[in-house]
Amino acid sequence: MSPDRSPLTRQSLPLIAGGGALAIYALFFASSYDQRILTLSGIYVIMVLGYQFIFGHAGALSLAQGAFFGVGAYVTGILASQFGTGFLATFPLSIAGASLLALIVAVPVLRLASHYFALATLALSQLLLLIAVNWEPVTGGANGLPGVPPITIGDWQVTRGTQLLLFVWGLAVVAMLIARWQRNPLRTAMFTVMRDTPLAAPAFGIDPGLLRLRAFMLSAAFGGAAGALFVHTNRVVSPEVLGFGIMITCLTMTVVGGRLRILGAVIGALLLTHLPEWFRGLDEYYLVAVGVLLLVMVVFAPDGLASFVKPFRAVRAPIGTPTRPGTAGRTPPVAPGLPALEISGLSKRYGGIQALDEVGLSIGAGEIVGMIGPNGAGKTTLANIITGIARADSGAIRSAGLDLATATPTAIARGGIARTFQTPQLPDGLTVRDVIETAAANAGEAARDRARAAGAITSCDLTGIADVRSGTLPHGLRRRVEIARALAGGPHLLVLDEPAAGLAAAEQAEIADILRTIAAAGPAILVIDHNLEFLRPLATRLACLDAGRLIADGPRDDVLADTAVRAAYFGLVTAAGGAA
Amino acid sequence: MLGAQLALNAVALGAAYALVAIGFVLVLNATTAVNFAHGESVVAGGFAAVAMTAALAMLLPAGSAIPGIVLLPGVLVLTALLGLAIAALAYLPIRNRPPVSVFVTTIAFGIIVTNGLNAAFGAAPRAAPALLGTGTIDFLGVTASRQSLAIIATAALLIGALAFVLQRTQLGRQFRACAQDPEMARALGIRLTRITLLAFALGTAFAGAAGLLLAHQFFVTPSDGAGLILKAYIAVVIGGWGSLRGATIGAMLIAVFEVGVASVSSQPLAEGLLYVAVLLVLLVRPDGIFGEPQRLRA
Repeated sequence: MSPDRSPLTRQSLPLIAGGGALAIYALFFASSYDQRILTLSGIYVIMVLGYQFIFGHAGALSLAQGAFFGVGAYVTGILASQFGTGFLATFPLSIAGASLLALIVAVPVLRLASHYFALATLALSQLLLLIAVNWEPVTGGANGLPGVPPITIGDWQVTRGTQLLLFVWGLAVVAMLIARWQRNPLRTAMFTVMRDTPLAAPAFGIDPGLLRLRAFMLSAAFGGAAGALFVHTNRVVSPEVLGFGIMITCLTMTVVGGRLRILGAVIGALLLTHLPEWFRGLDEYYLVAVGVLLLVMVVFAPDGLASFVKPFRAVRAPIGTPTRPGTAGRTPPVAPGLPALEISGLSKRYGGIQALDEVGLSIGAGEIVGMIGPNGAGKTTLANIITGIARADSGAIRSAGLDLATATPTAIARGGIARTFQTPQLPDGLTVRDVIETAAANAGEAARDRARAAGAITSCDLTGIADVRSGTLPHGLRRRVEIARALAGGPHLLVLDEPAAGLAAAEQAEIADILRTIAAAGPAILVIDHNLEFLRPLATRLACLDAGRLIADGPRDDVLADTAVRAAYFGLVTAAGGAA
Repeated sequence: MLGAQLALNAVALGAAYALVAIGFVLVLNATTAVNFAHGESVVAGGFAAVAMTAALAMLLPAGSAIPGIVLLPGVLVLTALLGLAIAALAYLPIRNRPPVSVFVTTIAFGIIVTNGLNAAFGAAPRAAPALLGTGTIDFLGVTASRQSLAIIATAALLIGALAFVLQRTQLGRQFRACAQDPEMARALGIRLTRITLLAFALGTAFAGAAGLLLAHQFFVTPSDGAGLILKAYIAVVIGGWGSLRGATIGAMLIAVFEVGVASVSSQPLAEGLLYVAVLLVLLVRPDGIFGEPQRLRA
């Protein structure tokens, strides 16, 4: 997916003018000391751009960015000062060293959530600092290694001052371009889905583990590059590069500038490197002021200074011709006659509660099956097991050749099974189109994916609000967006968990219409609900769960007349033991 | 008798670590917030003791020794105030945001404390006075360090007092109710904000007390915070997230590990191996050794 951007908009003009003025100042008017500070800013821009991937986009508080910076610094420092290795070798090695470390620790660390991740990365940083201070023969111990040569490429030695400034900022621009390429709108939206609705991400083919790994590796590579440039600027490497101070500086720059946008990295790095110059009067208390700034920013402006500058991305061009709803571009993987879902002997126990007990069910293509049953009957558990969020204790569950009992939620979603949630799982900040496109994007071919997303938008009647943010939508529309998202992946089976809950009668009827149109085009639909007003006109076949057991399955009217169903569902039992 | 002395040292160190870990869990239970400024609170306690010693030395005749134990009430009050400040500035304004926000604001608070102390006292290690004099006494035929015994006694007293409050008083019941289910506690009329402030005050005061206990033998440096929060955290992960008894056991295990490894090799190696151990523990048990209670429901 390549968004169309206009090269220049009115909003970007002041920024370009400001950047130009800064560049003229830096090159022609700045003292050599000022140029050094600006060089440092460029180095931090690279580091912060990397940190934005893991802290901003993946939403995980990594305290290892300083460690990656330090590894990059030591690789260059040791090779350049002890072995005289040239920049063209040390720079890639610094990046590789930091990335390798990230890859190694990713195994234990990346699975961790929240504070476990933060503290594990802090432990890694402390460990590396200990090694740097105590492994004197290699690292030079507490004093470090002096005599790191300037950057030399062939015959060109990059001299301090203007040359180094230009060189570093040239690399910073390259880093920005890489960041821009890596954060295309689609992937940015996927990160948002993963960050804000972690439960929903895998259900729509987004692999959170892979996204986090990508973010972590990128953060390490950028950090390593920044560390390498840092030692060439300082001409010495010491444990300072692994100290918590650098990590804190990076975190503060990211929070102050903004954790998501490239502009934020530039603002944060320029500001935080110049603040000490502007606040010389504070002396030793300067770092206290940095702490106060960080605290104030998180509380009052959590999106950073860059959020006060409007994004200068043009509105996307109109999308291509929508493909027909339902079939939506992907050929249904189910051969005619094969069931879209086949379950047998499925059991699941939570502690003392038998949530599912030997359940068997088979659904054919294009069929709409309503699953009814009282609260706690096991309906949502069944939906969770079909989509891989929960695992069955025993029993077989297959769909179109895919063994759902062992496949990951992401694989199940990519295999053509989509779902909605009882509580809609939509990230507030994304537009309806963004949400739907993230779900459409798991087949790989961009143009077809976008057409399929467009088809889902049309078939759920969302065209008018496609560019509205989900957070502003009323409940009824959120439900429809969820259905459109489930449809966007071109599924052959839709599992809908109470799609009409909390809706007015007219809205329920709309949803029912949409579902009938979808089913007519091929996919099977399993609707979980206990609202018979909604299900009766929609599903020709009903199944009923009670206390984990499937007590009925068949044509709608037969099931509704069934004695056991009426007893379980309506509580109607006559004195004679028959149905009322 | 070297073994017995080592064991006593380990228990003393573990007792001080236990205070840090218990303080961490108190805040965790009342608010589910992970307070990253907790390590700095220990450091602040150590420096509070150093500052009060300097102030008392000016009032008392020259050369008179000040036992550290008389500083304890002052350290507790000062660090409790620090805890209130952390709660009011770094937690309460953003209590409804994602947890990462609170991680960052408490880190920011830690930066303020570290660098404030650094500017006021300098980066060099400082020592607080021993609790009840230095030297050794013969105890059950073992030559024991007075400081180690005093640390154990002080920590035991504080932990005992806390256990009494939590188990036997109405306030303690409210605390435990908030820990089990904050929403239900609020619905029952427990004032969550008050409990939150109290938890931060109490938790930080425990950290401060540990700072006083540690700052004689191990000195105190403004930048010690990161290492201390990690140890408290490891103790809590080993002992079971949110369990006070577990945190105490975890703290003891860490101390035994540290003293044990350091006695056969070196302190940096002991610390390094501890960090490797954390990563390994998290590799095997990503939710901690005893798992974390799940509050999340689909």
